[in-house]
Amino acid sequence: MGRLLKGAVTTAALALVVLAGSTGVGAAEDTASPAPTTTLRVGVMSEINNPNLWAVNTVAEWEAVTLQYDMMRKFSEEDLTAAPSLAESCEPSEGSRVWTCTIRSGVKWSDGEPFTARDIAFTYEFVMEKRFPYFRSYIPEGTTFETPDDQTLIWRSPEPTFAPDIPPWIYIVPEHVWGKYADPSIDVKEIKAADVLPVVSTGPYVMTQATAGQNWTFTKNPYFWGDEPAYDSIQYRLFTTPEAMVQALRQGEIDIADELTSDLLPALEKESNITVQKVTPDCWVNLAFNFGGQAPESDPLPALQDLTVRKAIAMAIDKQSIVDKVYPDAAAPGETIVRPLSSYWHLDIPDDQVIPFDPDAANQMLDDAGYTMGSDGVRVDPSTGEPLTMRLPVSGDTVGSEGAGKLIAGYLGKIGIDVTVQPVTGGKMYDIQQTGDFDGYIWYWCGDPDPDYQLSVFTSDQCGDLSDGCWQDASYDALYRKQRSTFDQAKRQQIVFEMQQYVYDQIPAIPLVYPNSIEAYRNDQVTDLTPAPGADGYLVPNYVYTSYVTAQPASATAASNPSNGLPPWIWALVVVAVAVGGFAIYKRSGRQSDEEG
Amino acid sequence: MRVRYLLRKVAWAFVTLFFVLAVNFFLFRVMPGDPVALLARSQRLSPDAIEQQRALFGLDQPLIQQFGTYVQQTMSFRFGSSLLSARPVTEIIGSRVWPTVLLVGVGTTLAVVLGLLAGVKGGWARDSKFDRGSLYGSLLLYATPEGWLGMLLLIVFAGTLGWFPSGGYSSGTGTGIEHVTDVLNHLVLPALTLTLGYIGQYMIVMRSSLLDVKDEEYVATARAKGLTDPMVRRRHAVPNAFLPSFTLIVLSFGFVLGGAIVVETVFSWPGLGQLTYQAIESQDFPVLQAVFLLTSFAVIIANLVADVAYTFLDPRIEEA
Repeated sequence: MGRLLKGAVTTAALALVVLAGSTGVGAAEDTASPAPTTTLRVGVMSEINNPNLWAVNTVAEWEAVTLQYDMMRKFSEEDLTAAPSLAESCEPSEGSRVWTCTIRSGVKWSDGEPFTARDIAFTYEFVMEKRFPYFRSYIPEGTTFETPDDQTLIWRSPEPTFAPDIPPWIYIVPEHVWGKYADPSIDVKEIKAADVLPVVSTGPYVMTQATAGQNWTFTKNPYFWGDEPAYDSIQYRLFTTPEAMVQALRQGEIDIADELTSDLLPALEKESNITVQKVTPDCWVNLAFNFGGQAPESDPLPALQDLTVRKAIAMAIDKQSIVDKVYPDAAAPGETIVRPLSSYWHLDIPDDQVIPFDPDAANQMLDDAGYTMGSDGVRVDPSTGEPLTMRLPVSGDTVGSEGAGKLIAGYLGKIGIDVTVQPVTGGKMYDIQQTGDFDGYIWYWCGDPDPDYQLSVFTSDQCGDLSDGCWQDASYDALYRKQRSTFDQAKRQQIVFEMQQYVYDQIPAIPLVYPNSIEAYRNDQVTDLTPAPGADGYLVPNYVYTSYVTAQPASATAASNPSNGLPPWIWALVVVAVAVGGFAIYKRSGRQSDEEG
Repeated sequence: MRVRYLLRKVAWAFVTLFFVLAVNFFLFRVMPGDPVALLARSQRLSPDAIEQQRALFGLDQPLIQQFGTYVQQTMSFRFGSSLLSARPVTEIIGSRVWPTVLLVGVGTTLAVVLGLLAGVKGGWARDSKFDRGSLYGSLLLYATPEGWLGMLLLIVFAGTLGWFPSGGYSSGTGTGIEHVTDVLNHLVLPALTLTLGYIGQYMIVMRSSLLDVKDEEYVATARAKGLTDPMVRRRHAVPNAFLPSFTLIVLSFGFVLGGAIVVETVFSWPGLGQLTYQAIESQDFPVLQAVFLLTSFAVIIANLVADVAYTFLDPRIEEA
């Protein structure tokens, strides 16, 4: 018995020594390190499925490429208009058909190779040749590029263009890395599947490690041409529930939490060491009306062709109430089709032009127009004799769409329009939009910093393609063409304002809500994050990487990575195991002794 | 006789597998929507670009042609590329297998051991305090949604007490023993959730079986031979009462590869369950097909193992 117990205790003691030793080794290694490394830890809700730039899809993937790569001209930190980056300037000539760009000198790729104008030309030619879907549209067909020297890029387009001044949202890649994929026999699938780690780029950080479904590490680029960032590395960590990410932020496991949802705001805002950033709306929730014409089966409510009906609907909807009930503290009522984040282009509708929330006036307008109220509380169209009933699909990929749809059904019921809300998936909504099988729908738009793409969606040409409900208006189309051929930015801005006002008045769609993106960070762990664009912009790099370049660890404690060591519960487990094991052996030995006796 | 029985079981396993192979393909394609169209609005894709993407992944081909390609590729253990990331599906799944095996394996093993022990102890001493406590506890845990239980543990032990990390597989730092303890630290809460969620079924089945055999004549005979109570239980009652639990255990381990979608999602655990959830959200057909095929294969093999093992554990099966 004595021997057994002694053996057990010795074994347990040895286990403790081994475990303790392992902690000690770790600690010794930490002490021996020349300097603690600093890592900015960012929690994200979407995965970086593929570090390859050409396979970019998710929110986190866009953030990752924005952190690593430069564009020829970047989005400005103030209002997302074009600003110097790899190109210090671009000057138009020949009626804006030719743009001559002066390329920054002394820039190197992260592998030490020199960067030249030829890399930009290669990237643009590569994008045009391979027709990468997300990037291709930024360069007009038939454009060619010349590089008379390392610091000059000449862009020649067959038609006048402001494309270099948008700027084109194309990240510049090194020819010495991607040149081998330029061969026409290599398809896009093979390029997307290419292994890219460690990434070679010109941005402040490059991805050096990727663990699928877990975390991704970006290491400081030793050849970065801008100000040196304070953090040695940045680590993205994946969370699949926002609640878990908030707990991680509260416990200091991460410094920044990205892609948060508004229902978590109360929990976040009561923590003094957490700062919440409600980003200026980047997208808008849209109530679109169907005018028909997408496909033979398209059969929208005829009354929606009548501006009086559309205006009555607009006046019956209480946008502020939708914000308060569905997006509390995390949205603003929508106004125009250009989102507020593009502040240079976004129009604030003048107070005297705003369509008021006034259901009584809406009812009066419909009465005056002859839409008589039926005995069932649903109005009847005088020209067709049909009741005003609307199918309203709401897309599952649009946050709050179902809640907003139900409220709208209530509002419109009060003016005699019967609405049936139909929740569908984002994929199904695409089918609905293509076939025109709806009267109105709630979906979302997220545009480019430049308004051209968003404005193009409402042109007649887009019926059956991008257009929500095939609204076709010659006056609007003329304005669109005018803004495209106006190369003076201030004059173009005025036309863009005019277009927003026109859509606001004609009501082919109602921008319901501008939802905020929500981010949060531990103000006792990280400071000097520079949001962009403007003070209410993104903290994580959605358009520019400035925030991570200026970020500083808040204290020496926060700066160094905490050693994982042995967690307390393992010590507790070992102690309990030793106690239970010892007791069991003692009992067993006792029983054996009794049997022997 | 036994060989013929085994051959019949193996043949049925292959038939089932082929059936799963076919259903697997059509199941995901009857889902509403279009995986490429899902990207259209958020990524500002034009209809031309959408068509280009479809063609890239062969989604523009007639369905029957897609099915032919799918069967041909699957037979040669090629599962194509992810629609979302363009990476090979085998590579994507390969990186997720170990975390799932670790989590679900540990959770299931602990649940099996603790559940069986509690079932034996409770069943043998029916209506004792332990029996009533473990039975009600098991029923409560069995009825508790795993997602809710996981979230509760996460908020209490990670968010409030800060004893454990809030999710993930590791902190991504450290090597060697430091990495191992880091992973164990991340494993505790999700494994505990699974253990608590699974423990009830093993406890209840074992207890019920033991109650059935407890009053059998051979048990009374064993007592009459003068064996002590623990010896009767250990040598005569438990082995005979174990058969239903054995089936349950083998099938449970067959489901290990299926992952635990809810728990992996709550704890951001990078396993096959989380991958399945993401693939469903993005309608990533090739990934979904491969995951479901792998899971089905594991379950079919587990069934086969159970059938074969039964012929040894209970020879009456073969004669039936």
